[in-house]
Amino acid sequence: MTDDPNQNPKRVALVIGSGSVKCAAAIGLQNVLHREGIALDLVVGCSGGSLYAACMALGYDAPTIADMTRRLWTREITRRRSYSAWLRILLPGVFGFDETFGLLDDRLVMERLRAAFGETTFAQAKTPLYVAATDFMTGDQVVLSRGRLVDALRASIAMPYIFKPQRVNGQLLVDGYLSDPLPVGIAIKEGANVIVAMGFESPYQSRITSLPRFSFQISSIMTNNLFKANFAFHTLAHHSEVIPVVPEFHERIRLFDTDKIPYIIEEGERAMEAQLPYLHRLLEATTAR
Amino acid sequence: MNAQRPSLALVIGSGSVKCAAALGVWKVLQNENIKLDMVVGCSGGSLYAAAIALGYDISTSETMTLSFWTGDLMAGYASNLRAAMSGEMEFTERSGLVDDAPLMKALHQAFGERRFDQTLIPLHLVATDFRSGEKVVLSQGKLVDAIRASVAIPIVWSPWEIDGRLLTDGAAADPLPVDVAIKEGAYIILSLGFDLPHRARLRSFNAVQTHLNSIYINNLLRATYAFYNLAHHAEIIPLWPNFDRNVSTFDTQQFPYIIEQGQRAAEEQLPYLRRLLETAEV
Repeated sequence: MTDDPNQNPKRVALVIGSGSVKCAAAIGLQNVLHREGIALDLVVGCSGGSLYAACMALGYDAPTIADMTRRLWTREITRRRSYSAWLRILLPGVFGFDETFGLLDDRLVMERLRAAFGETTFAQAKTPLYVAATDFMTGDQVVLSRGRLVDALRASIAMPYIFKPQRVNGQLLVDGYLSDPLPVGIAIKEGANVIVAMGFESPYQSRITSLPRFSFQISSIMTNNLFKANFAFHTLAHHSEVIPVVPEFHERIRLFDTDKIPYIIEEGERAMEAQLPYLHRLLEATTAR
Repeated sequence: MNAQRPSLALVIGSGSVKCAAALGVWKVLQNENIKLDMVVGCSGGSLYAAAIALGYDISTSETMTLSFWTGDLMAGYASNLRAAMSGEMEFTERSGLVDDAPLMKALHQAFGERRFDQTLIPLHLVATDFRSGEKVVLSQGKLVDAIRASVAIPIVWSPWEIDGRLLTDGAAADPLPVDVAIKEGAYIILSLGFDLPHRARLRSFNAVQTHLNSIYINNLLRATYAFYNLAHHAEIIPLWPNFDRNVSTFDTQQFPYIIEQGQRAAEEQLPYLRRLLETAEV
């Protein structure tokens, strides 16, 4: 990861899309790139993917990243409900409902992000890093590339209803997947010619038994359709190469299934290996030119 | 229908009451004697797509609009939301917070037992498969069923079953389904789309819900529209009415203004449309 970016005449980017704990598949992808000696010139992350993008940009090794994943996504996080949030839904007139609403107490997440990234800023990353979030008021994509990592990451993973939006530089930000779940466009704008794009489909509910589950179903539908539409556009519009890496999971993986991490990493490795000949061909063709 | 020139489609996207702007577009086309070869509708746009395909005149369609958006359309939303959040009300994949009886009554009044094969112009309506998230194009059967499915705003109205598929609002898959017209062989495509409003203040769960939906749908609209423009080898003419006033859902006095803005948007693109139709003539 420390290779001189000028060595390769083509700029290689990795984009890691939203996919909660499934984003740990990026560790598998990293293993493969490392083994093959392929260096990245920039890393882009969205939502859960931004955590892995940050780790890679900082040059953390695979065991460290896997360890962070296990410590970050634990059941404890979902157990800490914000009771005031429920009261605010039921009695908005009494408890004052506003845009800073979130169902889970986010202090624990913030603590854990701090434990993983401390006061590190974007400027300290070894590989340029871009984190995607969404402006909660306008719905536009916001690209974060300076300041403290914890703030950007907290904004990028601010799943509506679950976590409160995060204020960064005066803008109220929510999860990046609301504007583009796999923000290949950022890598294109930053001048990447070869883009490895790791994306994930949102899972559908097997049974709907409550209003929140119904909402999650609708949100998955729209996220997947947004993912497909953006990806179709970028692939058609981009004059160079976008290599999709979409791991297939045969086991069902829920939001906080951290015990499945070894399996997730394996599927990430497998998905990257399947595209490796193509990636090599692109990189070789470039150096010959 | 028009062997002399390339086929012309009108696609009316999702936009609740603003979809009435389609009547303004239709007025212009009628005045200019420009015939449509197909109509595509999604969500609120389905109502007008169906009316145009059936050949309803403008005043019938205006009456339909006024009787559709009445106050009781959303009755019970707030109390049922509380009941559903607290668990008192069971909520399944077949649930909605609002009783759909007033909606069904209005749809029956407007379209009765009419079917797709009775339209004067081919009609295609778009819904979303609730279980798989895929876009579903409806082109046969009863119009009331297809429109009910296409307008099924999630959480507000229950999904609607057609041929064993549970369907919800077409906007969740594609708010302005230009691709349906492309696949059906349209060459020139008039696409009437609407940006959904963003709220400045979010003071209730409902407001947050609506706002998040707007964000999604607007981003979905931009992404799909950008793709269609790039992919379609012929012409997609954008009609984006400019609403410089706040248009709220149940303010029926705004309908003349909405229709006028649709008319204006169509008039602006008229010279271009004329040129396309003429130059492409055999």
